[in-house]
Amino acid sequence: MDDVLQLELTVGLFISFTLLLLFVWSAKSGDFDDTKKMMDGMLFDSPDDLRAAVEKENKQKEMKAKKAKQKEEERTKSL
Amino acid sequence: MSNVKCSHCQLEFDETVMIIEVKPSETSKLFFCCNGCQGVYHLLKEDGLDGFYDKMRNETIAPPLETEHDSSNFDLESFKQRYIKIDAEGFSKIDLIIEGIHCAACVWLNEKILDKTEGVLDATINFSNNKAKITWDDDTIQLSEIIDKIRSIGYNAYPYDRTEEDIKATDAKRDYFIRMGVAIFGSMNIMMIGVAKYAGLFSGMTDSILHMVHVVEFIFSTIVLFYSGWIFFKGAYFGLKNRIINMDLLVSAGATITYIYSLFILFGMKGHSYFDSVAMIITFVLVGKYLEVIGKKSAMDTMDKIKSQVPIEATLITDGGKKVVSLDEIIVGDIIEVKHGEKASVDGKSIVGEATFDESSLSGESLPIEKGKGDNIYSGTINSGKVMRYEATKNYANSTLSTMVNLLEDALASKPKIEEMTNELSKYFSIMILLLAGATYLGWYFYSGDFEHALITMIAVIVIACPCALALATPIASLIGVSWASERGLLFKEAKFIETFAKATTVVVDKTGTITEGKLTVKSQSEELSSEDLGLLYALVDGSIHPVSKAIKKYLNKKFETIEHYELENIEQVHAQGVSAGHSEKKLLGGNSKLLIANGVKIELESEYTEYHFAVDGLLLASFELEDSLKENSAELIEYFDEVGVEIIMATGDHEKVASRVAQSVGIKTVHAGMSPLDKADFISTLKEQGKTVVMVGDGINDALALSRADVAIAMGSGADVALAMSDVVILNDSLKGIKDSFVISKRTYRFIKQNLLLSLVYNILTIPIAMAGYVIPLVAALSMSLSSLLVVGNSARIKLKKEI
Repeated sequence: MDDVLQLELTVGLFISFTLLLLFVWSAKSGDFDDTKKMMDGMLFDSPDDLRAAVEKENKQKEMKAKKAKQKEEERTKSL
Repeated sequence: MSNVKCSHCQLEFDETVMIIEVKPSETSKLFFCCNGCQGVYHLLKEDGLDGFYDKMRNETIAPPLETEHDSSNFDLESFKQRYIKIDAEGFSKIDLIIEGIHCAACVWLNEKILDKTEGVLDATINFSNNKAKITWDDDTIQLSEIIDKIRSIGYNAYPYDRTEEDIKATDAKRDYFIRMGVAIFGSMNIMMIGVAKYAGLFSGMTDSILHMVHVVEFIFSTIVLFYSGWIFFKGAYFGLKNRIINMDLLVSAGATITYIYSLFILFGMKGHSYFDSVAMIITFVLVGKYLEVIGKKSAMDTMDKIKSQVPIEATLITDGGKKVVSLDEIIVGDIIEVKHGEKASVDGKSIVGEATFDESSLSGESLPIEKGKGDNIYSGTINSGKVMRYEATKNYANSTLSTMVNLLEDALASKPKIEEMTNELSKYFSIMILLLAGATYLGWYFYSGDFEHALITMIAVIVIACPCALALATPIASLIGVSWASERGLLFKEAKFIETFAKATTVVVDKTGTITEGKLTVKSQSEELSSEDLGLLYALVDGSIHPVSKAIKKYLNKKFETIEHYELENIEQVHAQGVSAGHSEKKLLGGNSKLLIANGVKIELESEYTEYHFAVDGLLLASFELEDSLKENSAELIEYFDEVGVEIIMATGDHEKVASRVAQSVGIKTVHAGMSPLDKADFISTLKEQGKTVVMVGDGINDALALSRADVAIAMGSGADVALAMSDVVILNDSLKGIKDSFVISKRTYRFIKQNLLLSLVYNILTIPIAMAGYVIPLVAALSMSLSSLLVVGNSARIKLKKEI
């Protein structure tokens, strides 16, 4: 009986601390900074929104690559 | 005619005044209240962003602004140096405040339209404070184009300086949020384990299982005490360093003593552990602290909003032409040019004969004010006429706008100074309990020589006297009062304003928008018009955006079901007087008596109201009198405050004659007219110096300063953003009955707060001596403490039992 309880409590503690760590990580990344937006978050998770998010990420990658290339060219020129 | 919703802003209007679009391929019609809404609707459709309308749900938004903005200022070198930062990758970054955001769909729309814009790397908008961070590639797009994009969909953007304090406040808010989250998590788990523990006390539990439960409680309470409660230890340390006994010391000392005692139990001592109390004490106090941090952060956000409204540059007229300078560079005597829709940057005197300014930010009056040569121009007021020039008589630091901004900043920094009697009482109470507990320990230890018994009795004193009921007395009653108020559309921003409002002795009300509707309506029409003349008048007022013309148009729409449509020629807006136009050789005139007299029309009407005359070919056909109509229930509200003995005063920026007439019609005996925003604020301060508890009710930007000085500030839900930000109570439905209701709710809630305080004090006076005498074991003490809290909660629940207000 004691062993079973001990096991249950250990597993329970492990799960709850994993969730707690996830919460701290997410809060530290700023996910809860805008409480009003967070509350309405599920309204903006349609397939279209997810597709738009992927497109945005790709656009950002392209822009960053272009900018880095531009900077590199400028640096080579100045040398 | 029935009301229909605008397809863009979702506001309802009479069908006759709507722009109707019928597409041949579609059966349904589109309705638009203005050209702005129509333009934005089609723009969103073309960009594939019409999902916005689904996300709006039942929300409404304001129609897009019709003012002309020049965005070229955003590309000036001085602007770039001040507001734009370049990141390590070479992208430009700016912090903006977006004006016009009402719902989450607005945030979505702005982010999406910017994401779709070529050259914009990232756009994130915070819905809570409307602040945006935009990152873009300066080689692809200019900031002015990004701003134009935001304006094209009906919003507006202003830059703001992100200060070190703002960054620190954001970090502090996040830090407190995480600590509070961890504390709540720990407390909830301990409570669940607690259920098993307490059940086991009655049904039987082996020592090994009890030990296991204690270990789990120990783990959670250790995290809560040393991670979440760390700020209390820090606060106590700095307090002691400066020789101050603060609440942090009492909280950390109380929690630590209980924790240490529970450790003894965990490691073999007989008795009952109190790890749950440790977690609860820290959690409850931390939630209160977090609310304080949020309050400070929102005060900063409000200040950023106000500052973002200040113009950035001014156009100076020099010998060599025009020069754009920052406001600090303007000196007395400089000639400044202000375009249509721009704000005057410093105070000065007009050097042109004709100018019109919107002074609503100072006086609250919506009608434009005519300015002749030599008339004063005030900073912050908007040029609603043609381009004009004026001479600066003050530099920026001494101008009206800068003075107001500085005063508001001071007011926000010192606002939460309202008496927090219960907190003070708790503080002295806690010191006394700690002393009594210490004395109990020493007394029992020297009397019996039994350390364990002395310790247990001391803990029992601390637990039984834990000022939970005392601490709950005010917040729980206030919370019930606030939720009751919110059910009736009355939003109390903080519960403490319930207490202050209940003690109010004087209510100061603004006139326009508070007692009156703030919109002109036609009071009388001298003559009936033939159907042709009616059509001509309608065509004439339809072409003008002046508030008087708009009011006449609304009146005609309401009164007549069908009005013939005529096309007018040679429409000419006569500066601040009216409109003239032609129609098949007829000359039409519509405007004030000045315009008609100047055109040889004889006017006999002498009225104290706003006048509008309509003449065709020099013959006066009809005259209209317009007035700002009284709000429903205004007289009842004044009568109620008279009955309950609260003094009511009207303070307005309007002329004495108009103010007195309105005051008389609703029964207000004391009127202060012609007051500037500073006068109003000083007036509030004078009343407070006389020992009065002052409630200010207002809705305009001109009331913001006075609202910030009042003990309780009430704003109407439709008021200006700044007024809403400054207020403590918002009447969401704009009804004056709401003011009476919130007063009644506050009074009733306050009565229950006093009852609760009495209950908890009587409980402590009775139980502490029993505990000190050693007749109470800690478990009974804990149960008894919960009972006292339940008593207070139960009593507070009676507040909402009153059905009618």
